Formats: sequence, C-alpha cells, structure tokens
Amino acid sequence: MAENTVIAIQIAIVLAPIIMTPIIMYSDRISDKLRNGLSAATAAITFILTLTLYPFIKNGGIIQLSLFEILPNLEISIRLDLLSFSLAALASFVWLLATLYSLDYMAKEHACGRYYPVLIFTLGSCQGIFFAGDLFSLFVFFELMSIIAYILVIHEQTEEALKAGYKYLVMTIIGGLALFFGIIIIFELGGTVSLGVGPIIEESSALGLIAFICFLIGFGMKAGMFPLHVWLPDAHPVAPSPASALLSGIMLKTGAYGLIRVFFSVYSYQLIQNSNWDNILVVLAVITILLGSAVALTQTDIKRRLAYSSISQLGYVLLGLTILNNNAITGALFHIFSHAFMKSALFLAAGSIIWKTGKRNIADFKGLGRQMPVTMGCFSLAALAMIGIPPLNGFLSKWTLALGALDAGMLFFVLVLLISSLLNALYYLPIIIPAFFELPDGVVVEHHGEGHDEPPVKIEEATPLMLSAVVILALCTIFFGLTPNNLAFSLSRLTAAFLLGGGGF
Amino acid sequence: MELLSGLINNYYYFVAIILFVIGTHTMLTHSNMIKKVIAMNIMDASVFLLFVAIGYVHGGRPPIIAGNEEVLYVNPLPGALILTGIVVAVSVTAYALSLIVKIHRTYGTVDCDEICKIRGDE
Amino acid sequence: MVLSEQLPALIVISPLICAFLSPLLYRRHARASAYLVLLSLLLSLIMAAALLIKVQRTGPLFYQMGSWPPPWGIEYVADPLRVYMLLVVVAVSLWIFIYAIKDLEHELRDEVIGWYYTLYSLLVASMAAMTLTNDLFNLFVLMEICAITSCAIITIKEDRECLEAGFKYLVLSAMGTGCFLLGVAMLYMVTGHLNFGFLQEELSTAVLNYPLNVFTAAALFIVAFGTKAALFPLHVWLPDAHASAPSPSSAMLSGLVIKIYAFSLFIIFYRVFPRSLLDSLPLSEIVLWLAAFGVMFGSIYAMLQTDLKKMLAYSSIGQIAFIFLGIGLDQRLALVGGLYHIAVHAITKAMLFMAAGTIIYATGVRKISDLAGIGRVMPLVMVAFTIGSASMIGIPGTGGLISKWYLALGALESGRSLFVLVILLSSLLNAIYYMPIVINSFMSQEDFGHGVKEVPKVLQSALVIGMVFVALTGIFSRPLILLLEEQMALFF
Repeated sequence: MAENTVIAIQIAIVLAPIIMTPIIMYSDRISDKLRNGLSAATAAITFILTLTLYPFIKNGGIIQLSLFEILPNLEISIRLDLLSFSLAALASFVWLLATLYSLDYMAKEHACGRYYPVLIFTLGSCQGIFFAGDLFSLFVFFELMSIIAYILVIHEQTEEALKAGYKYLVMTIIGGLALFFGIIIIFELGGTVSLGVGPIIEESSALGLIAFICFLIGFGMKAGMFPLHVWLPDAHPVAPSPASALLSGIMLKTGAYGLIRVFFSVYSYQLIQNSNWDNILVVLAVITILLGSAVALTQTDIKRRLAYSSISQLGYVLLGLTILNNNAITGALFHIFSHAFMKSALFLAAGSIIWKTGKRNIADFKGLGRQMPVTMGCFSLAALAMIGIPPLNGFLSKWTLALGALDAGMLFFVLVLLISSLLNALYYLPIIIPAFFELPDGVVVEHHGEGHDEPPVKIEEATPLMLSAVVILALCTIFFGLTPNNLAFSLSRLTAAFLLGGGGF
Repeated sequence: MELLSGLINNYYYFVAIILFVIGTHTMLTHSNMIKKVIAMNIMDASVFLLFVAIGYVHGGRPPIIAGNEEVLYVNPLPGALILTGIVVAVSVTAYALSLIVKIHRTYGTVDCDEICKIRGDE
Repeated sequence: MVLSEQLPALIVISPLICAFLSPLLYRRHARASAYLVLLSLLLSLIMAAALLIKVQRTGPLFYQMGSWPPPWGIEYVADPLRVYMLLVVVAVSLWIFIYAIKDLEHELRDEVIGWYYTLYSLLVASMAAMTLTNDLFNLFVLMEICAITSCAIITIKEDRECLEAGFKYLVLSAMGTGCFLLGVAMLYMVTGHLNFGFLQEELSTAVLNYPLNVFTAAALFIVAFGTKAALFPLHVWLPDAHASAPSPSSAMLSGLVIKIYAFSLFIIFYRVFPRSLLDSLPLSEIVLWLAAFGVMFGSIYAMLQTDLKKMLAYSSIGQIAFIFLGIGLDQRLALVGGLYHIAVHAITKAMLFMAAGTIIYATGVRKISDLAGIGRVMPLVMVAFTIGSASMIGIPGTGGLISKWYLALGALESGRSLFVLVILLSSLLNAIYYMPIVINSFMSQEDFGHGVKEVPKVLQSALVIGMVFVALTGIFSRPLILLLEEQMALFF
C-alpha cells in the first residue's frame, strides 16, 4: 500500500470525527435518529479505516512525516508504527461498541445533543494522540481529549457529578502543565520534540530527571498512577456507563501510551535503566497495584469498585514497562488490550444492570444472574478474566508479565502479581456468586414436600443492541486468551521486539 | 568638604531635587486633593528648573544673535523643551482640577481619606 | 515626496485630525462622527500594514518631522518590531471601536459621546506615535497625551467610582511622568542628546564618566514605566480604574495602554541604554523579580474578587507581568515570548472585557456569583468568554500557549528554571478562577435569574472577530513569531 495513501488515511482517521462533531451537533436539531445514525456511522468508519492500515503495518512499514511548521524548529508530524496502530485499532473498536451501546442506553437520558458530539470528538482526539509524531502534537491532542472528556464526566449534572468533574479538570490541568514543563525541557535539551528521530536525551542530567518526573506526573495522572489517581474513583462512576467504559478502557491507556513513548522515543530505555530512574515508577506502580485492589474491596457501589480495579490494573502495565525485557513489555502491551476488553465489558454490563434495574449497590445484585442471564454471564466471564483464570486473556497477560519478571530475576513482582490476583478474586467473586446462586429479593421459595422447587424467575434483559456490545467484548476475552496465537498477542510481541530493538527511527 | 562645596556651587540642581522630593512626597501622602495637584505642579516645576539650570553656561549670554561675533551662548534647547513641558503640566493641572470639581459635587469633600470612608460605607 | 515615506507621520495624523473633527460633526449628525472615527482608524490600519510590508522589504525607515534632522528635529523610526506593535495598537483599537459604537449609548450620556470619540482618537494617535518615536522628549509629550486621555475615558462616565478611580490614576500617572522627566533631565545632563540613537552612542562613554547620573536615570525610568504599566508593586491604581470604566475603555486600557508603556521600557532598555549598562547594573534582575511577584499576586488577588470586571483587571496585572518577565529575563527567546504576549493579551483581554461588557449591557449583572446559568441564555458571549479563558490558561490552540512556550524556553535557556515554575503556577491559578465562571455559566442547575435584553448584532460580531483573532494567534502564529525572532536577533 502506497505511503501517501496511508498518510491520507491516517489524517482522515483523525480529522473525520473532529469534522463530524459540528455536523452531529447540528443534526441534533433535525432529529434524534439522524444524530444517532451519524455518530454510529462515524465510529464505524473510523474503525474500518483504522483496520485498513493493518497490511501496511504487517509489512513492517513505518511512517514519520512532518506536516507543517507551527513555530520555528517545532513541527507537527504524524507517525505510524506498530505501537500506534495497535492502540488506535483497539481504541476505535471499543469506541464503536460503546457508541452502539449508547444508542440504546442514552435513549432515556437528557442532553444527548451534547453527549454524542463530545463522544465522537474525543474519538478523533484519541486517535490524534496515537498518530502524533511529535511530543507537541501529542500534548495538544492529549489536552483536547482530556478537557472535552470533562463534558462526558459531568453529563448527569448532579452535585456529585459536578464536584467529580471539577476535581478531574483541575488534575487534568495540573497534569497538562507538568507535561508542558517536561516538553519544554526536552526541547531545550535536545532541540527537537519529534518522536521519530531516535532517543532525544542520551545523557543523564538533572534537567533530564526533572523532565522525566514531569512526564510521570503528566501521563501518570491520566493513567491513574498513585498518588495522582484521586480523580479517578469519583470521575469514572459518575459518567454514563458507556463513557465510563471509554474512560477506563481507553483514555487511561493514553497515559500509558505516553509513558511508553517517553521510555522508548524520548529517552533511550538503556539510559533510564542505567540511571535508575525507573525505580520511581517501580515503587509507584507497586503501590498502585496493591492500593487499587485493597480499596476496591471496601467499595459497595459497583462502578466505584470497577474504577478502583482499573487503577490497580493499570499498575500492571506500568510495572511491566519498568522491567524492560521482552516478556515484560509484551505482557504490558497485551494487558493494555486485555484490560480494555475486560473493563469495557464489565462497565457496559454494569451499565445494562443499572439501566434495567437501577441497582448500583453490590448487595442488591443477588439473583441477578437469573433475571439477566446473558449480561451477568458476560460480567462473570470478564470478571474471571480479570482474576486471571485460564484460558481467558487476563491469565495470558499476567502469565507473560510474570515470565518477564522472572526473566529479570525479580521474584518480588511475581509475588505482587499473585497477591493482586487474590485480591481481585476477593472482590469480584462476591458479586458473581450471589448473582447466580442466590435468589433475588422478593422471590419466595415454596416448599413442596421433600425438596423445594425454585420458582422460575422472570428474565428481563437489556436490549439486543446493548447485549451484543457486551457479548462481543466478553467473547473477546476468550478469543484473545485461548492461545497465544491471536492477533492481539502477536501484535504485542512484535511491538515489544520493535521497541526494544531500537524503535524504528 | 568637597561634597558641601559641590552642593553650594550647583545649588540650582540641589534646590531642584529638594523641590522634587517635596512635591512627590506631598503628592503621595497628603490626603487633600487640591494639595496633591499643587504638589504635582511643584514636582513638575522642579524638573523644569533642573532642565533650565542644565542649559546654563557659565559666562554665557542670552541666546539672541546680534551681529556675527563668536559669543558664548546659553543653551536654548532646554528652555524650548520646558515651554512644551509647562504646557503639558498646565493641561494636566486643568484636567485634574476639573475632576476635583466633579468629585466635590459627587462626594461633597475633596479629602481622600473621607472619600475612602464614604466608599467603604457604601 | 513618495507617499510611502510619509507613512509614519500619516498614521499618527489620521486619528489626530479625526479627533478634532469628530465633536464638530457630532453636533450635526451623531452617526456620521462615529463613521468618521471608524474610517480614520481603518485608514491608519491600512497604512500600518503598508508600512510593515515596506519596512520588511527595504529595511528600517527613518522619518524626520519637518525634515529637520536630529539632533535638532524629532525623528520617527519604523522598523519591523515597532511596526508590529503599531499594527497591534491600531488593529485592536479599530476592533474595540466597533464594539464601542453600540455599547457607549448605554453607558454614557448622549452629549458626551462625541467627546469620547475625540478622546479615543487622541489616545490611538498618541499610542501609535509612542511606538514610532525616537526622541525622549517627544516620548514625554506623547506619554502625557496618553495619560490624560486614558484618565478621561474613565471619568467621562461620571459615576462615583469612575471619578475617584480616574483621579487616583491621574495622580499616580503624574508621579510617574515626573520621575520620567527627571530621568530625561539626568540623561540630558551628561550627554546633551535626546535622540535614542545618539544617546546610545554617547551613553557608553558617559556611563564611565558620570555613572551616578545614568544609574539614577535608569532607576527613575523603571519607576515611571512601572507605575504606568502596573508593574507590581506600583499597580494599585489599576483595579479600580479598569473595573469602573465603561467597557470599551476597560478593553482599551487593559488591552493596549499598559502594553505600550511596557514596550517603551523595552525600547529604552535596548535602544537607549548601552549593553554595558545592562550588564553592570541588575536592572533586568529587578524587573524580573518584580514581574515574578506580579504574576503571582495578580493571580492570587484575582481569585478573591467577586466583581467580574475587577477580577479581569487583577488578571491584567498578572498578565502584564508576563511581558515584564520576558523583558527581565534578558534573553532572546524570552523577549520573543514577552513581545508576542503583548499581541495575545491585547486581543484576549479586550475580548474578555467586551464579553463582560455585553453581559452588563444585556443583563446589568456584574457579580460573578450571579452569573450561574447565563451560558444557556447567552451562548455566544459565554463561548467567547470560554475561549478567552482558554487563552489565559494557556490551552493548546490559543495564543496563550505560544507566548508561554517561548517564555519558558527563554527561562530555561538562561538557566533560571524557577521562573518556568512561576509561569506554570500562574497558569494553574488562572485556571482556578476562570474555570468556575465558565463551568457555572453552562452547567449550573439554577437558571439565570435576571432579564436578558437582546444583544445587538454589532456586539456579537465584535466577539466573533475576537474569537477568530485568538485562534489565529494560536494556530497561525508563525509569521509574527518569525518577525519577532528576526528582530530579537538584532539585539543580541
């Protein structure tokens, strides 16, 4: 496939959603159906366009092109390599499913005319982040996405939502300012912020360390790294469920993506290892993993529990990143994929439950397995994957991460992984076991003679469209976990080899 | 000693600076608005005095050309500048005084502290 | 007598003539005098653009008033940097005037509007001349014209607050001018020149022979321009003056008048003082630290305000300190950032004041706490306010980011990373007091509680022009930045 076509497709992937945003805003006045149809179509087209880039990537193609010069010495460029493609394809896939799910979920809600344009705009800016070829454009799209996603967070406009949104916005701006500081220092030290010219910082220096810490603050805040995770448990639950799925599933990963780029394209990873700067990230990642899981145990609201779970799962990715060997990076990247599938499935399933029954408290989930078998089935499947039960994808990613830790001789990390898996089990099983093995409230068991018959419980499921989105995501957890021979895993392995082998500059 | 004789020889400059300080100090510390305007005028006058004194050449004659002799003239340029400066100072004074009239009409006083109290009570 | 060579004088004369004609015309036909001012400003803008093109092509233009060469005559210099400042002044004045035509009917008595046009034209003429002038005494005269007219456009409203604020401004401004004149006297004493070019040559020897005079002059200049440009701690007149003035005046004052003094200080530092003076005295250090404090205190005071226009005024103090930060860092990139911030802040603050003025025009509301829910009834105005706030915070895509980028780069290059932290912290503080207004206006549960008059199309179009300008300075900043970088390279 010719390079020019690929570049054109890339630009179309980023610009099409952004251009469609005002059109969708306008179509809201004409009819709801038109607006919904346009949103779904945009998400679908973006996904299909992203997939068409696969042949080029499979052949090992890399694109790094500077588009125009915004300031002297500072150019806006686009980049396409294995890492960009993997994440962009993942993002557009989950976005498509979330948009389709929203069509039914948001049918009863207010202010849809604001929700859909913002959903599509954030898709465009997210793709912009992944296709950015230099730190400056990455920063621009990162800020745009984060700030516009605020509108999704405060959608409900309750007092709680506004407070959570304000916390989110302030932390986003702090993170953005830290990123700005880091980028300025890199520009000062290296003379360029392009991601395509090889490691920009080759030597250790005090300013370099400050920039590294700034990047940790900026991207780590987005990825929910301790101690900058404080916005996450408030912001993710108050958003509407499809938006929570996207926030937890994809937008957290942009922070991880940024850190991966920092590790490999801005600094050379050998420098980070040799100067022991990665120790900071190691400590924070371990605390994140354990803290997230521990606090999740204490939550009674389903979405808050899932939010804390996200915090701890991102910790796995960060931990894998710091170990810096083939298995660990593969595991980290694959975990990005698997967590996206698992967490989106969980949030969408939880959303269906809230939509249908209005129940958010875990104690009320008794017997839901009888009322909503398909939804709870998918929830359980995704939850089991989170715990790390073979043959689901969660197991595969944790196994690979553990292999990487063992390769590097860090038994402590294997221990952390095991403890966290145990904690995962401790907070997921109490949801799924009562759902299937107990009766819902209000259903009485009648005794007939020796045994007792359990009366049939009426099945009240979510709509087919919502169900299919959840089912697809849940099936992905099986599909991508059965054998290591699946697309996501091979992409991860290739990307890890690519990054560790020099990065393709 | 040298300082004292220097000051006495250049007493124009010395007096001008003293007037400048008096003017500035009064303008900033006294609360009566009319006094502020007067002080502004004193301050401006002192700078004009300094300027004109700069132009003075010892043993020079007024800068009027009469005949074609080689004579030492006092520098006329500062004087010309000062005329412009005086005009500017006068216009600022006029504007300031009209403003004081308006303020008196509105607040009933020309004392800054009282005006602050009135504003504070509002 | 090529026309293009007379441009520096013509650009100043055009609003000057209009200033005298406008009240005569106003008695007959009020509308026509407004159009006259508009026409003269438009003419000045076109001539300024033509001057920029000419100067970029053929190099700096030296214009002598009345064909008297210096040191006897007054010289005007047009080089790309000064013409950039001139363009900013004239373009923003024209845009604010479009807004003013409609807004003034609501704020001033009918009889005085004609006089307002005179004052406005005189103000524009004096600021335009201040960018071009190359003579210290001419600078003094123009400063005084600027001071009187800028006080007058505040007090013309004749409210209680306006009069008191205007008088305070006048007194402090007069003190500044007195200090400036004394400084000029000090320099004239030791060099005998008033022309910038000659002064710079003479001063390199004069500093060695009469150091105290030159040092005193430098200190007096910093005080004089600091007072007039509201550098901390000489900013005390600004909040009252800018908050109580009619909205077009606030936009003009916050947007242009304080900038022109910062620009003049920059020109004096680099075109009058020899490099040896800047190296031997910590002049830039003093300006730098005062600016850093100004940035912090401006933002902190702004957070505590309840009145919308007072908050914007305190925000101006912080933002003008950015420009002084650029001057104080004494480094090429930082100066580019500081000078670009002149254009960015002029446009942004003018737009914010115009948005605030439109809100007051339509609803009479001035308190921030009353603004809840206003975004739903006046969407255009609040979107303009949002974009202005985004530029103040420094969100990518607006001009605010570009100037902060250069300031931060300059700070790092000169090895003073502390000031990058100051810049970042002020961005955060800006976010803390601008964002709640924006969020409350759109997302608040309560509805807006006051009646809303219809907003005239003229005011709306002025706001739209502002939004376009902000986006332009953010995305298409390259031409101006290149111009500034080229010019700064000449100084270093």
